[in-house]
Amino acid sequence: MQCEKVGDEALQGDKLDVLYGEADVAARERVRAHVELCPACQDEMTALRGVRRDLAAWRLPPARPARAARGFVVPHWLAAAALFVLGFGAALSASGYVSLRRAVVEQQARADALEARQREAQQALQAALGRGAAPAGGAFLAQVDARIDERLRASQTQQSQSFERQLASWQEQADVRRRSDMAQVAASLSYLDGRHGQQLARTNELLGYFLQASDKR
Amino acid sequence: MGRSDEELVEACRAGEGSAFDELVARWEDRIRGASYRILGSEDEARDVAQEAFLKAYRGLAGFKREARFSSWLYQIATNLCRDRLRRRRSRPQTSLEAIEESGSLIVETRPGVQERLQEEDLALAVRRAIESLPQEQREVVILKEYQELTFLEIAQALDVPVSTVKTRLYRGLDQLRLRLEHQGVRGAAVVPLVAR
Repeated sequence: MQCEKVGDEALQGDKLDVLYGEADVAARERVRAHVELCPACQDEMTALRGVRRDLAAWRLPPARPARAARGFVVPHWLAAAALFVLGFGAALSASGYVSLRRAVVEQQARADALEARQREAQQALQAALGRGAAPAGGAFLAQVDARIDERLRASQTQQSQSFERQLASWQEQADVRRRSDMAQVAASLSYLDGRHGQQLARTNELLGYFLQASDKR
Repeated sequence: MGRSDEELVEACRAGEGSAFDELVARWEDRIRGASYRILGSEDEARDVAQEAFLKAYRGLAGFKREARFSSWLYQIATNLCRDRLRRRRSRPQTSLEAIEESGSLIVETRPGVQERLQEEDLALAVRRAIESLPQEQREVVILKEYQELTFLEIAQALDVPVSTVKTRLYRGLDQLRLRLEHQGVRGAAVVPLVAR
């Protein structure tokens, strides 16, 4: 059924005024009088109200920061956290290396000091033997020299082995510490990566729902 | 009670710089919202809003007192949107980018997600229907439905008679009803419009 006033622009304008609450008393009365007797215009007003209800569904998205130039938004907190973790790992590795170097230098200094003391003791003993009137003669002195040399060599060997063992132990500790640091850094990065990955996965999942819904329609 | 827009404009002309800040704070969201709905891009809408306020600031001396400041501002923003749409015709966006850009699909998987997805479906259908309207009808629908301007304010903003605004809106609503119905949205199709 058609409205007998189809194309009446004044009536259309009045209906819009009523629909949007801008009609004065006279316009409201004109529309009411016509619509009461016109089923087509009653249907039309109902349909227009329905359209307006649907239009309200399109809301603005919440404000978000501007896009990065390359089209991928890197959250500030993610960048800051990654920098912190990398910096922390680098600091740990550097401190481990520095402490190992310091320990090696100290051990070398102790070994040098010990060797110097032994040389002094040997020289003092030789001097004392030279001053004394030892009747035993050259054979006795040679024997004493040989024993001193033997003791010195044994002591040096012992020192060297001890030093090697300690160095190996420090090397191992430093290696373990470095691996632990790197594991922490890797775990932190994978956690951060996981957070972003979950968000992408959620987006993909919802996109899937959306495409399915579109297909059904 | 704060000062009216026109009082702030006068204060700005008298050299009170902070008066314009107040105008920006008062109208920025609405101008950006209208631009977003016309252009469909949040980034472009932000640019348009900034540009519109800059133009308004530079043109304050030429602002006619008989017009409302908001209508004048909407006029500037609408013209900027038209410029961008003209430029865009040579390099159209893909719809998927537009959807992603709106952020409308990025919702959290909490209880009630089904309802939210339905709302998103409806919002997307409405957005598509509005985007498919002729530009003149789209502007009027957006300024009326979402910016809640009066017919007179829209007429001032678009520099056309009120009767033209009403004709465009009437046709726009009718087109929207048909397009929403075509997309399977039931609300608009409760009762068919009278045949014209």
